[in-house]
Amino acid sequence: MKKFNIAIIGLGGQGIITMGTVMKNAALNSDLQDVSGSERRGGAQREGYVETFVKYIFYENAAEMNSPRKNMHSPMIESGGANALISLEPLETLRGIKYLNKNSIVIFNKTPYIPISVRMGKTKYPEISFIVSELQKVTKHIYYYDIDAISLEKFNSLTQKNIIALGILFAKADIPIERSAVESVLAEGKGAENNLKAFALGLNL
Amino acid sequence: MSKSNLFINGSEGDKAIVLGNEAIARGALEAGIGYASMYPGTPASEIIAVLDKNKKHVENLYTEFSLNEHISLHGAIGASWSGIRSLCAMKNVGLNVASEPAQFLAYTGVKAGLVLAIGSDPGAPSSSNEQDDRWYSLHNYMPIMEPSNIQEAKDFTKDAFDVSEEFSFGIVLMAPSRLCHNAGALRFGNIRDRKNIKGDFKKDPENYLNLFSLAVKNHAKYLERNELLKKYLIESKFNKTINDGSSKIGFISSGVIYAHLMEAFDILGVYDHKILKLGFSFPISNELIKRFFEGIEKVVIVEEAEGFLEFQIKKIAYETGFKGSIYGKEFFSRTGELTLDDVISGVSRFLEKPLPASFDFAVEKDKELSNKLPQRSGTFCIGCPHRATFYSILKAVGFSNTEEKERDVVIAGDIGCYTLGLLPPYNAMDFLTCMNAGLSIGQAISNFDKSKKVIALVGDSTFYHSGIPVLLNAVQNGANILYIILDNSWTAMTGHQKTPSTQKDIDGKPSANVLNLKDLIKSLGVSYVKSLDPNSVKRFSAQIKSALKEPGVKVLIAKRECVLQEIRRNKSMLKNEAKVAETGESLYEIQKSRCVKCNECFVELACPAIILKKDEDTGGDYYYIDPASCVKCGVCYEICPNSAIRKVEFDLKSEFKLKKGLSEVTV
Ligand code: SF4
Ligand code: SF4
Repeated sequence: MKKFNIAIIGLGGQGIITMGTVMKNAALNSDLQDVSGSERRGGAQREGYVETFVKYIFYENAAEMNSPRKNMHSPMIESGGANALISLEPLETLRGIKYLNKNSIVIFNKTPYIPISVRMGKTKYPEISFIVSELQKVTKHIYYYDIDAISLEKFNSLTQKNIIALGILFAKADIPIERSAVESVLAEGKGAENNLKAFALGLNL
Repeated sequence: MSKSNLFINGSEGDKAIVLGNEAIARGALEAGIGYASMYPGTPASEIIAVLDKNKKHVENLYTEFSLNEHISLHGAIGASWSGIRSLCAMKNVGLNVASEPAQFLAYTGVKAGLVLAIGSDPGAPSSSNEQDDRWYSLHNYMPIMEPSNIQEAKDFTKDAFDVSEEFSFGIVLMAPSRLCHNAGALRFGNIRDRKNIKGDFKKDPENYLNLFSLAVKNHAKYLERNELLKKYLIESKFNKTINDGSSKIGFISSGVIYAHLMEAFDILGVYDHKILKLGFSFPISNELIKRFFEGIEKVVIVEEAEGFLEFQIKKIAYETGFKGSIYGKEFFSRTGELTLDDVISGVSRFLEKPLPASFDFAVEKDKELSNKLPQRSGTFCIGCPHRATFYSILKAVGFSNTEEKERDVVIAGDIGCYTLGLLPPYNAMDFLTCMNAGLSIGQAISNFDKSKKVIALVGDSTFYHSGIPVLLNAVQNGANILYIILDNSWTAMTGHQKTPSTQKDIDGKPSANVLNLKDLIKSLGVSYVKSLDPNSVKRFSAQIKSALKEPGVKVLIAKRECVLQEIRRNKSMLKNEAKVAETGESLYEIQKSRCVKCNECFVELACPAIILKKDEDTGGDYYYIDPASCVKCGVCYEICPNSAIRKVEFDLKSEFKLKKGLSEVTV
């Protein structure tokens, strides 16, 4: 049995849940494969922490798939258990640090969304350099971009930033599912044209 | 789910990504339900929402967003007695409201299968407590099924209807938020033929007229049925024992925690202990447990919350004369969500098995950082009328965040999106417990502490849920209180279900039976009632001030639709974002030269569309309205004491080209 865990985190309204759904739908082709992962959404509110897990499970054979010791999986990712982490908000990346191990790939968006506590002057927002150096203490595989700016520049809107991030994921990490499977999920969904463009854009960053 | 047509048309062989909640709904559909209802509540809302959304394509399906859980469960009972399989869903605390029908259900029994799906919320990310509803079953005798994953969520729900009919109990299907909001692959089954779903109420006075000696008789009858069910559960497919190792340690678990446990074993590389998976966590058969105890010296019960399984199993151990030891809550916390991490650590401690190095390292790193990071809490959406309401209230009572004053009015909170008003920067609630506690507790406080004015808040959906008797009580007993109803026309927090206040659906269709809230309140005997737009903050604030001076019960209705729904309805506005950018549109802008950073808009109102930017020329910061997020509610424009905010013609595209958008927001 092989597993591949992706943690996707960010804020309400950034399209985090959609990213998880796209990645999961891209994994429906094989019989010897399972996919799950829970979402934590903050009601209808904005700007709260949101996370979604994508857990791919590949069984060696049918016997393993039918074994009760092997075929039941938690909807969560354990500490140090993520093969990849995508974060659409820099500070939140540090909240996701618990999922990382020394081989994890980290992709994060460096556009900050300032929390209320910082707005009120009660705390300070960490510098990007601090965020990166903390991450580096765990893994060397860190990639960050101003994905908000890229999305605005190319699409005149922030809507595409989550799909751009998925493109980056495929470019930087060795994802055990076909890139074309993601593309066909995007092609069937809403806003297909822009999403496919955004995915390709991410692939080439 | 991406292919929503599969939800209704899928059959054996089909596979799709669905939410746990959707899997429950699909299971009910496969079982041939004709009735589905709920009062919306996170994490359970999607169970009925997905059925409601699809009902026009499903023959003979009635769905209802009931006004409260008590009504909803009664509806399901009525449907069952009419021979219709029925599904009722609610969040954990909903069962407090529906506890009365739940209490009677064992006495009267069901006709067609009835399933009550409960979304529990350990860790309380969306609730005001961590209540474990399983304890109710010790006295209402509702059997409880606990699916462990998405597939079981569907399969168990489907089977639950058969068990319900066979033993004449309503079955509780327990799903914590981790399962409700788990999204993963589901293999579909076939849907029962729906043509013959037709009601036929057959009188059954012995069971349905539940009083006097009949009630006593019914009491005995359900205890008997409970014993029959226990017997059935000894060898049913729902409870599974894994016994392929030589260890003398046995683990017992259920639901999502069982899934955590199996993964924990895999992560720790432990494969030889005996395991009992309880698909039914109530009732538990003595014989089942006795058989499991055979050859075992130590039993570990792995579960969330206060130990419902442990309570029952220790009793059974005593009754069956088990000589070994039983552990549980010594290793697994009673409070908060029991996460995969917690199960891994607990099992590792019990078995004295070392944790993987990467796990330890990550846990330490997280501990080290978590205190250093700024907290983040959710807030109102941009343009949300609740933000204006809280701003107005705080201004009316002279409270300010920038000046750190004590506020001398008591503000009673209640349940809904507006509950977020208790968070910074507003800090505008003094207590918050359950639905409609605000006015009732507030009434007593105003009675006993005459030195303080009391303002009680409530949303429209919460008011209709159970607030009418509370308001009537306040009037009848001569209370002195200001009651502000934040009427945004929707049950917004749970995904925008309609309320009696909803005027227009998001497709623009007017609702039938729209209620005139003001008239309703007048009819309850309130003479001081006014309805205002909270976004006119100055007017609203002045109104609150003068209402506070009046004696008796005063009601102000803060009437403005949820901004998300308004935007959805005016979709054209969004769809044409690109066009807007090209053609330009009037927007709100802060004039750098006039803004003195008084913080009225940035901290007091705290609209998230107002952000801090770095000034390229001076190196300082300035406040800026992000045109891509501002929804032009105009509230900041109204409140700026320095007239620094103006309406301008603004060309989005050139602005972005010029400045590369938000890239240089300072931190
Ligand atoms: S209220 Fe006006 S002066 Fe005060 S910070 Fe906002 S824009 Fe500047
Ligand atoms: S007009 Fe002002 S308060 Fe309203 S959404 Fe825009 S920035 Fe926020």
